[in-house]
Order: sequence, then C-alpha cells, then structure tokens
Amino acid sequence: MLGSFFNIDGGYLEGLCRGFKCGILKQADYLNLVQCETLEDLKLHLQGTDYGNFLANEPSPLAVSVIDDKLREKLVIEFQHMRNHAVEPLSTFLDFITYSYMIDNIILLITGTLHQRPISELIPKCHPLGSFEQMEAIHVAATPAELYNAVLVDTPLAPFFVDCISEQDLDEMNIEIIRNTLYKAYLEAFFAFCKDLGGTTAESMCEILAFEADRRAIIITINSFGTELTKDDRVKLYPKVGKLYPDGLAALARADDYEQVKAVAEYYAEYRALFEGAGNNPGEKTLEDKFFEHEVRLNVNAFLQQFHFGVFYSYLKLKEQECRNVVWIAECVAQKHRTKIDNYIPIF
Amino acid sequence: MSGKERLAIFPSRGAQMLMKARLKGAQKGHSLLKKKADALQMRFRQILGKIIETKTLMGEVMKEAAFSLAEAKFTTGSGFNDNILQNVEKAKFKIRTKKDNVAGVTLPVFESYQDGGDTYEFTGLARGGQQFAKLKKNYHKAVVLLVELASLQTSFVTLDEVIKITNRRVNAIEHVIIPRIERTLAYIVSELDELEREEFYRLKKIQDKKRIARKKTEDAKAALQKSGVVLEQPANMLDEQDKDLLF
Repeated sequence: MLGSFFNIDGGYLEGLCRGFKCGILKQADYLNLVQCETLEDLKLHLQGTDYGNFLANEPSPLAVSVIDDKLREKLVIEFQHMRNHAVEPLSTFLDFITYSYMIDNIILLITGTLHQRPISELIPKCHPLGSFEQMEAIHVAATPAELYNAVLVDTPLAPFFVDCISEQDLDEMNIEIIRNTLYKAYLEAFFAFCKDLGGTTAESMCEILAFEADRRAIIITINSFGTELTKDDRVKLYPKVGKLYPDGLAALARADDYEQVKAVAEYYAEYRALFEGAGNNPGEKTLEDKFFEHEVRLNVNAFLQQFHFGVFYSYLKLKEQECRNVVWIAECVAQKHRTKIDNYIPIF
Repeated sequence: MSGKERLAIFPSRGAQMLMKARLKGAQKGHSLLKKKADALQMRFRQILGKIIETKTLMGEVMKEAAFSLAEAKFTTGSGFNDNILQNVEKAKFKIRTKKDNVAGVTLPVFESYQDGGDTYEFTGLARGGQQFAKLKKNYHKAVVLLVELASLQTSFVTLDEVIKITNRRVNAIEHVIIPRIERTLAYIVSELDELEREEFYRLKKIQDKKRIARKKTEDAKAALQKSGVVLEQPANMLDEQDKDLLF
C-alpha cells in the first residue's frame, strides 16, 4: 500500500537510481585498476565499466585532474537529471542534498571576493551541484556587511546564516569556522526535515545524518588540539543531531587529548569499534579511514529497503567515494608510488 | 701567436734592472693567482658534491610532498586547493640574503625564515586535519630544500665565472707576460754584451794604431840617431795636449 503511493511520484526515479547504483565499481573492477601501470591502462579499464568512453575526447597525455573533472561531470549529469524530474517532497530533499555543496561554494566566493579576486576566476572553481542564481551577484558586495544584507539573504542558505552568524561574525570569524557553523545549521535542518517526512526515509536518513554529526564532532575535537580554537568555540560547532547529544558532546567539550576522546567513544558501541583498530602507525588504518568505511556501510544498507528517499542520498555519497577512490588509484599510478595504492575504501 | 715579441725598450743597465724587477713581480703574481685558483676550485668541487646530494634529496622530498597532496585530496575532495589559493595575502616564508667570502670572492647565500603564524590552522577542521598537517610539513620541507638548492646553484654559477677569469689570468701571465719579459731581458743582455764587445774592439784597435804610430816614431828616431843627428826636444810647457795615460 505504502509502496504504490510512493511509486506514483518517485517510482521512476527510484528505479533509475537503483540502476545507477548497479553501475558502481565492484571489487573486481578495483583489482583491475590497481594493477594498471599507466593512466592509459586505467582509461582502458574504465571503458569496460559503466563509465564507458567518458575520457575518449581528452587529448593525451592524461592528467589526474582531468580524470577527476570528468568523473564528477558524469555524476553531476546523473544527479541533475533526477533533480529535474523530481516533484515535492523529493525535490526539496534533493535540494537539501545540494546545500552542502552550496556552502562550500559560498565560502569560496566570499574568500575570493574579500581578497578582490575577479568573479570570472572564481565561478569555474565552484562545485556544479552547488550552484545557485545569486552566485554572480556576490562580487557586487565589497564588504562582508553588504554581502550579508544584500546577497546572502536571498539564497536558500539564508536561514542557516540568520540563526547563528551575524554581520560582525562574517568579518571577524575565521572562514573555516564560518563554514563549520553553517554546516552544523544545515545538518540540523536536514535532520528535522527528514524526521518530518517520517516512514522509512526518516529511519535510514536519520541514522546516516546522526553518524555524520557525531563524526564531525569527534574529528573537530581531535583536530582542534594544539590550535587556537577554544573549548567554547568548539562546542558551537558540534551538531546536536547525533547519538552523542547531549552527554557525549558535553564530555567531548571537556576533552584535552586523543585518549579522552577515545574514552568518550567507549560509551557508544559502534564508535568504540571504530576507535579500536585505528592508529597513526604505517600499516594501520587511520581513524578517518574507519569513519569512511562505516559511512559506506550505512549508505549501502540504505539500498536494502525500498520506497524511501534515502537511496538518492546514499547513491550520491557512494558515487563520490568512488570518484575519490579512482582519483587516489590514478594518483598512485601516475606518481609510481604503489605502496599505499590499496588504501581505497571498498564499496561492494 | 706573437712569439718573437719583446718590449720596445732602450737596452741599458737601468733597463735591465727594471726588467728583472718586473719579472720577479710577474712570478709572484702568478703564484698568488694560482693559489687563489686552487682555493676556488676546491670550494667549487665541494659545492658540486653538495648540489648533487641536495638534488637527489629534493627528488625524494618532492615525491613525498606530492603524495601527501594526493592523500589530502582523497580525504577531503579536491576543493581545498582553490580555497587556500584565494586566501593568500602575505608571504609567510621569506628569504634573507647574506654574503659569504671565499678567497676574495663574495658569494650570495639565501637564508629562509618564517614570518607570522599559521593562517591555515583551521583548514580541514572537520575532515582531513591530520592529512593537512602532514601536507603542510612536507611542502615546508620541500621549500626549505629549494631555497638551499638555489643558494648552492647561484654560488656554483658565480664561482664558475670567477674560476674561468682567474685561470685565464694565470695562463696569460704564465704563457705571455713572463716569456715576454724574459725575452726582453735576454735581448737587453745580448745588446749590452755586444756593446761591450764593440768597446773592447775599439780599444784594441786604438791600441794597435798607437803601437804602430809609436813604432814609426821610434824607427825614425833610431834612424836619425844613427845618422848622428840628435834631436832632443825638451818638454814643452805650452803643449796642452795630454798624452794618453794608458796607452
């Protein structure tokens, strides 16, 4: 019953998404790629996969940045096709997914504008999934105050700015802190939206977003040791939608070194498992790698259920991870540095 | 090559003294310049060895730095590069020049120093912070090495020039100046000898002539004495001519 209602609006797109998902590179493909000696071999192997002849028109010699751009282009085309065919509420859901790229683009544009770089240089560097109409207008503003009042209020990200960043903050705060504050607001808004949708979507998405929130909190804490970020500022960056809220976050706020963070994670079963195998010695996986693996596992699990929007989010994230994997292998091949070539995150 | 040249100078004892002094000066200059060339050559070889060492090290360090860039990209996606490029305001890594003196040659030496704190300490705060720290360290090492290499290479080029010039001078003194002076000296000596010989010959000739003249007068006197006429002329005080004292 639930399924048929979903299929009226979302059936075609879900089917399309699952079709795309089947084209994600398998372990056998990765084994082939890892054995390549040159980038031309890599291109040959990719031709046999779902990517086809996407590198056919590129002049040789191939560069890794070209491969990166082309992989992303394919992903963007697929996503935009799905977005164009979506109706409410799927369209809002897909828009929410693009807001994270928009945040990155806005930060880039703000930084560039404040340092008087020409807008024509900055626009091509923006992520295509995060483009919005007011992008060109950003360079009209010369100071952060004008930027805030004139431009940012019209963008879809306005609510994120309004809640936590004021005019002075734009001026004084470090750009990275602004980025992380925006992202926190975005995560919390996305989480609320998914919860509203209810049903299977809420089940799968909320779990994924909770993990993302906790992961950010942990990594921000670890990376802030030894920097000028005070504990109070740190707390302002922790998203409140994860499992760590409120006790874990309070404990993290008081942490002073890696061991204390690990101790906080001990209280939560999945996170304890992640900290277990991680370490910085060569040969061990880093904590970030373990987080990536867990994220991939959650995303793959989203496909086990039908009739929900989580498949679109998971598909995008898995495809992105695949792009990063292929670029990593390409870099190792191009630089002839094969010791760590197996450090990609396997998906299937 | 002008092999037969000598200085145009009037051959005399004074000139000979002058030439001897100049020869001594040229020889001293030659040995000093040779010492300088040797010192420079030694330093040159030292620098060459260090350059080779630094270049091989550079290759490895750059490789590692490029790889750590790939690692950072793997964790965060490749967007951070543009962000950092846009955020650049002032150079934080600066170079001072100092001078180093080797056997009278001033060589420039570059010294790097850091000015200002780390403006990018929050990059990768939410993802990839460790990779960024490693990346920053690796590229910092690479730039420091590059500055050292630049220093060495400028010294190398400068030294090369100076060594060429010095060697040219050494060779010029050895093969042109000193032979020329020696030839001049030989010429002076030979001219002086010839003048002496000429003098000697002249004296001998005069002696001969005087002997013949004396013999003639004595013969005439003897003949007169034989014929019974004695002509004795007393010394004439009015006679101003001095007879030759020697001959």
